[in-house]
Amino acid sequence: MARTFDYPQAEEIRDALARHGVRYLFLGKSGAILLGFPDTTQDADLFVEKTAANSRAAVAALRELGFALTDAQAAEIEGGKDFVQLRNGPFDVDLVFAPDGIESFARAWERHVEVEGFPVCHPDDIIASKAAANRVRDRETLPRLRAFRDYWLRQRRS
Amino acid sequence: MSTATVQTHEWVAEFEAAARRPLRTRLRYAFIHTYKPVLDDAAYRSFDAMADYRAWCETNLPSWLGYGQDV
Repeated sequence: MARTFDYPQAEEIRDALARHGVRYLFLGKSGAILLGFPDTTQDADLFVEKTAANSRAAVAALRELGFALTDAQAAEIEGGKDFVQLRNGPFDVDLVFAPDGIESFARAWERHVEVEGFPVCHPDDIIASKAAANRVRDRETLPRLRAFRDYWLRQRRS
Repeated sequence: MSTATVQTHEWVAEFEAAARRPLRTRLRYAFIHTYKPVLDDAAYRSFDAMADYRAWCETNLPSWLGYGQDV
């Protein structure tokens, strides 16, 4: 199974999701990396607005990208799951419909950041989500991520 | 200078170095696949609620992967 996610693939997913009108944001470490956070990860975390129409659009886009979703899996996603882990496509993707620590998609969208056309959660939302999840891996990342948020805000102001 | 201050200076140097790289390069450096036992062994998983996913991670994944709340 191919397991790389590089710039051309990021462009592909961005363009496919845009073609299908999917409302989503990059979240998690993949979102932070798009903002400039130097770290490593292996999957893209997509915060997808949880509506039936948006989920249908996301399924169509993912199939176009080569994710082998069965009809039953597509129906599950469209029916409203909070978390879906996909390892059946050209790269690893986690679809997060109700991330911990974020009030709503609308609120996250209001303050999201665009990076070369990639819609990304504000660093405060990425931090809030990791703080709420409170996994070991999140606790290890958070001090450096908070320092990055402060750096990023200073750069935006200057 | 305190250890924390030194640490912060080192991080800022890393952030500044990353900021000088184009996004294409940053992504190439950032996305590295390493096999994660159990987690990567299914092509598809879904959970009705985030709490279900967190509970599944706690129960099924090796603790050293860091997906639980304790090592």
